[in-house]
Parts: sequence; C-alpha cells; structure tokens
Amino acid sequence: MKGPPARHEEPKEQLPAVEGIISDAGELEPGDRVVYPNQGVCRITGVESKEIAGQKLDLVRMEREEDGAAVLVPKGKVPTIGLRKVASGDQIEGVFHYLAAQYDDPELDWKVRHRDNADRLIAGGVLGVAEVVKGLHALSRIRPLPAKEREQYDNARHLLVHEVAVSLAVPPGLAEDYIDYALMPPTGVTFKLKPPPKPVELPSRPRRKVTRTDDEDLGLDELGLDLELPEVPGAEGETPDAAAAAPDEAGALPALDLPEVPDVAAPQGEADELLEEAEEAEEAEAVADEDEDDLPVRKEELPQKKGKKVVPPARPEPSPHTGAPDKKKPAPRKAEKPAKAPARPVRPERAEAKPKVEKKKAATKPAAKKPAPKGGKKK
Amino acid sequence: MIRIVTLEAFDPTDIQALARTLFQAFGLGTEHAGDRALPSDVEQDDGRYDAEALIAEVAPVKTFADDKVLYLTSVPLALRPGPLGEPPCWGFAQYGGEKAVVSTSRFPARGVSEASIDAWRKRLARESIHAVGHLWDLHHCYDARCAMHPSWSPSLPASPEADLCTFDRDKSERKIRLAKT
Repeated sequence: MKGPPARHEEPKEQLPAVEGIISDAGELEPGDRVVYPNQGVCRITGVESKEIAGQKLDLVRMEREEDGAAVLVPKGKVPTIGLRKVASGDQIEGVFHYLAAQYDDPELDWKVRHRDNADRLIAGGVLGVAEVVKGLHALSRIRPLPAKEREQYDNARHLLVHEVAVSLAVPPGLAEDYIDYALMPPTGVTFKLKPPPKPVELPSRPRRKVTRTDDEDLGLDELGLDLELPEVPGAEGETPDAAAAAPDEAGALPALDLPEVPDVAAPQGEADELLEEAEEAEEAEAVADEDEDDLPVRKEELPQKKGKKVVPPARPEPSPHTGAPDKKKPAPRKAEKPAKAPARPVRPERAEAKPKVEKKKAATKPAAKKPAPKGGKKK
Repeated sequence: MIRIVTLEAFDPTDIQALARTLFQAFGLGTEHAGDRALPSDVEQDDGRYDAEALIAEVAPVKTFADDKVLYLTSVPLALRPGPLGEPPCWGFAQYGGEKAVVSTSRFPARGVSEASIDAWRKRLARESIHAVGHLWDLHHCYDARCAMHPSWSPSLPASPEADLCTFDRDKSERKIRLAKT
C-alpha cells in the first residue's frame, strides 16, 4: 500500500537565485567574507573534519565578524542555507536608490507581511533586507509597529548596516547615517535616483482569503435564519504577538471552526446540527463582542479590505401579532434575535431536542455567574 | 561609566546638567573627565573636522572596561560622503565601541535667556544620548520622539525630547546588564 509522498519529496518552487549566492562549498576560501542569512557577515576560517554521531563530516568553519561567534556548516549544506557573498558596489548602489525611492504601499495584512519579511531576510539578499527595512519604516509612518515587528525592523536594520559597512568599508555608525540619509532625507534635499532594482521574488503561497459572507456559507437563508457571525478580532489587524505566540488559538475561534455546508439544501438531521451550531455561534458572537473591547487595536484602525464586507439587505421584521413585516421600527441588533424565532422551521422533533440544550444552560450558567463569596463572611 | 571630555571650554553648569541627564537615560555614572586639545591635523580645507579621524586622533583618557567616552566640541564636523551624498553631521560614534563625539555647531544659539539656555542644554542632552546610544549598540529609531531618531530628520520637532523610546531603553538596559563589568 502506497502512502502519500513525503513532504521533502514535494517539488519546490524554483526562484531565480539571488546574486552572489554560493552554490558550492568549493568556492569558499579561508579569509573570504560571506553573509549568513539572519546572522550577518562572517569570515571563513577554514574547513575541518569532525566526527558527529558516528558520522565523519566536513565542516566549513566561519567566524561572525560582529562578535566572533563560531559557525560550523556541513559542506553539503552550504548550497541550501542561502550563504552568499558580501554585496558588491553595484548592489549597494541599487539598495540606496531603492531606499531613497518613493514607497507608499506597505502591506497591511500583518500575517502576510511578517511571513514575507521573514522570507526576504533569509533568501532575499541585501535587497531583501533593504525591502524589510523600507517596508516596515513606511508602515511605521502610518502607525507604530507592534513589538515583534519592531524587533524584526531592528534586526533587519542591524543586518543591513553591517553589510553596507563591510561592502563600503566604512564604520557601521557611518553606514547607518548613509542608510537613514536615503530613508529620511533632510528638508530640501533631493536625490537624482536611478530606477530601483527589481524587488525580490518570493515563493508564491496559497493565501487564504476569507471571502464568504455571513449567510452564504452556512446556507442559513435556506433555513430561514439571519445570523450575524462574529468578526474574528485580529484576523487582519495588528496583533501579531498574540497570534504569533499561539496561532492555533487564533484559528480556534468559533467563526472559523464552522463546517462548510454545501449549497444544496441540507437534510433534516444535518439542518438540526447546523441550527445548534448557529446558536453556539450566536453565543460566541456575544463573547467576541466583549473580547473585542479588550484588544489593543482600536476598531477604526483595522484595515478594511475591499469587497469583503457585505452589508446584508435590511430585512423587515415580522410583527409579533400579524406576522406582517414591520417597516417602521428598526430594531437593534441584539433585539432582532428573539424576533427571528418564528422564522425557523417548526418541527416536532425540534421540541424534543431543545429542552436538552436549555437544561444544560440552566445547569451551567448560574454556576458560572455565581459571585465569589467574600472573605469577610464565614458561616 | 560615561566620561565626558571637552575639547573646548564649556560652561561647567552645562556639563553638570548633561551628566545628570545621561545618568537618568542610561543609569550609568557620568563624570567630566577633563579637557583635551582638539587635534588640528584632522581639519579639512573647508574648516570642518573629519569626525571619524577626530575620535581616532584625540588624546585618550583613562578608561576601564565598558567605559564610554563622549567628546564635546563646538567645531563643525564632517563625514565621508556616501553613495547619495554626505549626511549632515551632528556627531559621530563608534557603533558598539568606546568613543563618540558631539558637535554643538548646528545647535541654535545658546543665548543668554533662561529659555534659550534650557533649549540648548536639552539639545545637547539629546545629541549626547544619541551618541552614547550608538556606543551601546542602539540603531536609529523611526520614532521622532526618541533620542535615537536621526538628527536631521524633517519629522524631528524644533525642540526634541532628550529621552529614549521604550524599545531603545529596554535594549540599552539589556546591553548594559550584559556588559562585562
């Protein structure tokens, strides 16, 4: 029996190699200066053999110039770690022209941005590092960076400063002045810029876009329900700390866990399950509304994506007495919920299932809301 | 320890105020370590002094491990031109090193009124924190209210604050904690 292919056998997307990348360990000579992605400029000190776990390995020994830390890389791994030569003069010139060029289009989706920036730092060469610095700098003009990205910005700047310093043979302090002179030119200073180099190509990933509207995916129209699903707080906003720390937790919100329902009318049993899930979604909405206030990002700061927010058409409320739509009285959002009950299909078996849920609620809610006894009173 | 060395005569009260501010910013003892002569051979044809050469050539002061030396001067400084030109020079620091120099030549006039003297001292404190920050491995900051923001930036207010942002303060404290001494 043949199982699925192993992950490492999946074909990888071939991107054009960054200029100066070292594809063979034989190219390295002691004394060469190379750039180790995310580590900085290193100097090759030699090749040595070591026995590790019973295997004899040829290792390239490097020394990080910044602090003298030793780095050992197996010779066979050199082509895959993105080791590259220090940027040439032409590359650095391109970087400065890129830094000084106009840039008004920062990526607003923090998940995409954070992932792309991490890719750029690893595989983008010196221009990729410059792109991270410029992108996050442009974003910082719109709003302060969250802690993780502030750190990423600082790391990228550190890598760029040191590579520019090594490439131009200037002290790092001076290299940083050059970079910021290009990024933030003083008033009245204009540069004669060449066309900036082509941006770094990143591996294309399937981007999960939440395009479904409130009612479409659950097929609630067919069931006669008009439920509003809770908006996922932080799905597009600036909370990378929380979601980066626990990405599974962010995905565990009830709105994302709802099962996909086919467009055809669901059978009766499935419809019951959907109804129960929809009720749970209603409860989760109330919780999410409360939680939203606690988020550090204000609601008006969240970026609005075009075409994503679909305003449902105003539905006339059925009058409790006549059943006719009441056009004059626009009920508030929460007050709509009891009015939706008559729209549900009336089924005899539903009456049996409903008390079970109610019993559960009656058993759990008072216990949850019971105020803690104060320490002062003892029986 | 931060040691302030003056390359010309400065008002002692200005130096005292600066020492207090540096102590508050970095939590390190700060003292005036004396005067030194300005090295004349680093003067360029246009009358400015090469900042990089100045801190290399100036007479040293006695230091211990992790001491930082801040030179103060009023002469205009110059930097090597980069790929896009020469950035304006308010000072220069050896990144992660020991020596830094700050020039007061670009400051607004010190004047004689209390307000103008306060503004001058505040600017001196800001540039000194910036230079010492580089000595403690801090990079430039995008926040215009932070002392590590580039001194020539158009978004810098007329009277900038002499304080570090939270990120830079934390980073400098971490670096100082990890220092040898």
